[in-house]
Amino acid sequence: MTFYHSEIIRIRELCYSNTHQLQTVIGTKNYIDQHFDQELNLDMLSHIRYTSKFHLLRLFKRYYGLSPRQYMTDRRIEQSKHYLRRGMSVSESCFAVGFESPASFSTLFRRKTGMAPGEFQKRAIFAK
Amino acid sequence: MRVKVIGIPVLDQDKALAFYTEKLGFIKKVDVPVSESSRWLTIVSKEEQDGTEVLLEPAPLHFEPAKVYQKALYDAGIPYTQFNVDNVQAEYDRLVSLGVAFSVKPTEMGTVKIAVFDDTCGNNLQMVEML
Repeated sequence: MTFYHSEIIRIRELCYSNTHQLQTVIGTKNYIDQHFDQELNLDMLSHIRYTSKFHLLRLFKRYYGLSPRQYMTDRRIEQSKHYLRRGMSVSESCFAVGFESPASFSTLFRRKTGMAPGEFQKRAIFAK
Repeated sequence: MRVKVIGIPVLDQDKALAFYTEKLGFIKKVDVPVSESSRWLTIVSKEEQDGTEVLLEPAPLHFEPAKVYQKALYDAGIPYTQFNVDNVQAEYDRLVSLGVAFSVKPTEMGTVKIAVFDDTCGNNLQMVEML
């Protein structure tokens, strides 16, 4: 066994021994993966996992390093990139991933990727 | 600033290009000679061809400390870097069938599943699936 492998085992026992907490956050993340194109909020997510919303928020941040909303936004932006690469229009992509306003979608997209959705699409198509 | 290229030191660029494209499934992006024996050689993910490029750099051949550092990581089983996959177990099965050697089989580690394999060019690489 390598040094790295033994460290994995040691750290797993040290940091990831609470299987109930892990199941809660992984279940929440999987729910977001399957429903990110719909309206989701912390109340709904905590209700599904039978936990308080503040506890869920703390747990999710602890294990994934970001809030459920931040994770959902990232998933939406990633999926919108996929749609834009396939040639879907900016507004169609916006609504398909669950954003309600093309303006806020464009702002978020630019913040996350460094370019506007239209520019991203042009580059992606040009690169093919 | 933007992250456009990250480097991985390799002991043999030709061998690395074959491994990273034929076994891992990356695509060659840039291949430009920079000296008699070295190239600026980058690859990208097939799914993100406009994404970050991975430079297969021959640093261990030209700079002794790079070689020492790479070997120390390799001997300890520490991955030089990691790549994300959708399904670690499926990718593990696929790579094993292609003869790739693993030092860590698919292992759950909190909210991720990981596995570590040998790139045959002096590095351990880790693949990661977010659970």
